[in-house]
Amino acid sequence: MSYMRPDSVDSLERALADESYLPDRGLATAIYLSLTMGRPLLLEGEAGVGKTEVGKTLARILDAELIRLQCYEGIDAAQALYEWDYSRQLLYARALQVGELDPQERVAELYGPDFLLERPLLQAIRSGPGAVLLIDELDRADDEFEAFLLEVLSEYAVTVPELGTISAAEPPAVVVTSNRTRELHDALKRRCLYHWIDFPDLEREVEIVRLRVPDVSEQLARSVAETVGRLRELDLIKLPGVAEAIDWAQALSLLGASSAEGAPARDTIGWAVKNRDDLRRVEAELPELAP
Amino acid sequence: MSDAAETLTLFGRTLRDEGLPVGTGRIADFCRAAAALSPDDLYWAGRATLLGRPQDVPVYDRVFATFFGEVEPDTRTLVRVTAPAQEVDLGLASPVELLREKSFAQCSPEELAQLAALMGEVPFRLPPRRARRTQASRRGDPDLRRTLRRSFRTGGEPVERAWRTRRRRPRRLILILDVSGSMADYSRALLMFSHAVLRSDRRFEAFCFGTRLTRLTRALATADLDEALSRAAAEVVDWNGGTRIGDSLKRFLDEYGHRGLARGANVVILSDGLEVGDPDLLAEQMARLSRLAHEVFWLNPLKEDPAYAPLARGMQAALPYVDVFASGHNLASLEAVATALSRPQ
Repeated sequence: MSYMRPDSVDSLERALADESYLPDRGLATAIYLSLTMGRPLLLEGEAGVGKTEVGKTLARILDAELIRLQCYEGIDAAQALYEWDYSRQLLYARALQVGELDPQERVAELYGPDFLLERPLLQAIRSGPGAVLLIDELDRADDEFEAFLLEVLSEYAVTVPELGTISAAEPPAVVVTSNRTRELHDALKRRCLYHWIDFPDLEREVEIVRLRVPDVSEQLARSVAETVGRLRELDLIKLPGVAEAIDWAQALSLLGASSAEGAPARDTIGWAVKNRDDLRRVEAELPELAP
Repeated sequence: MSDAAETLTLFGRTLRDEGLPVGTGRIADFCRAAAALSPDDLYWAGRATLLGRPQDVPVYDRVFATFFGEVEPDTRTLVRVTAPAQEVDLGLASPVELLREKSFAQCSPEELAQLAALMGEVPFRLPPRRARRTQASRRGDPDLRRTLRRSFRTGGEPVERAWRTRRRRPRRLILILDVSGSMADYSRALLMFSHAVLRSDRRFEAFCFGTRLTRLTRALATADLDEALSRAAAEVVDWNGGTRIGDSLKRFLDEYGHRGLARGANVVILSDGLEVGDPDLLAEQMARLSRLAHEVFWLNPLKEDPAYAPLARGMQAALPYVDVFASGHNLASLEAVATALSRPQ
């Protein structure tokens, strides 16, 4: 069962828009190429620009299963690929000790598929083209994990010594995201198609906010987008992303505000700026948002 | 090879000449992508297959404009298509690229302010080193003591196993700036750089010296650049004076290095090496420093001149103990140093 491939960049753009995700032309082209050429897609960008959303939306469009691997510092093959359910094996062995048994058979059973804990990468390989594999925040993992991942993404085959080789006839769609806190290795970048997601421009951001929060008026959406744009020009530690703009707009709309100014804005600024040093900076530079 | 493939290959090679890491594999991918898309999307086909970093985009735009004509800024589709078949003359570099290469000594205050913003984006992440001690962890070597302890809960069976792995400690970075008269043209820019670097990690330290050593870490600790610079200016009393590198290093090692600040750290000395004091003292202190520190970097702005040879006695005395000798006279060289520091150890 293969996922429904889009015919062209335009149809992909329309499909994404139907699922409330507005990409720019570059992103749509990169996704299209990734699906057509069968290569992973590497998305880099600041936090909150919608990298993870791409993976989720793609799974909905392609009518495929979303398999998510969240990377973190210290992740290794056991957590990403597979692990033996040691505790269960031990209990099984203990329980068998009391009954009659043929040792050879039972030991072989201990390493059977019942006791194999499949982690996301192995699940994705098993599903093959029926899945979208989302590898989130790869920059948080270390070099060894990157090398291991590169191997998996090149072959789409895994050898479990006790069980044999499991491979995918057709590779799943793969989306890798990175917050660019460190530079990923060139070998991995060469394997993938690359796209840098920037913050959207004013018009696009207004469109996105209105699409995601339908209750928001045009005036409020525009005001929020403008203010967030000004916030991004300040030298903040954590720049507000698109997700923050959407949250802030929703908060303001619930309070009945018509623009991002005055008391409602000051009360809800925490939706956009989530750092104490940044808040002080914002109050200094944009006095209308200070309490 | 068809004309189109030749043009695309030439495009890729031109990008390579401009310094982008475009290998043959990437060029092949580019051709495949171009074949899969309409000609209007050629710009994005190249962006997705040939690039790997956002800072390569200006170079890509420039070369693309020369090869295939201007692109509309909003949709980035082609306005007109002209495809030359031979080597092309490229236009001027963008202002940002020029600023990266411009020596600090020649920058105006406005340009320095622009550079301050760019410096904030230089990624400064030193790879952690493995220490000898171990700590509890979820993977690694078996931890027999803790496994045994846990097995008590499950009737003596080691159902839950415990592991231990080597601790990872971040390596410290120490900057030592020369703020004497001979470095006057570069001092401000290098202070801005130090400020940007210190923001990356609380454990990083910055010192400066002229005739005496001053610790700048606290002064530069504020987030606001101007405030940091004025606090630094207030602390340092020997701006634009003479240079006593050997004495200052000795003071650093005696008071701070000895306490463990410099052990296993990466030390970056930014100075032109024009020593007024005794070069033998400088050599001795550099030897001490090189034994303590993991790597010693020396950035000398005089090195920007290709004809420069370290003939001054101070520089000559120090050089044998320096692991990486670079110029540090413009943003591009500082970025190169940052990359060298981020190499896995």
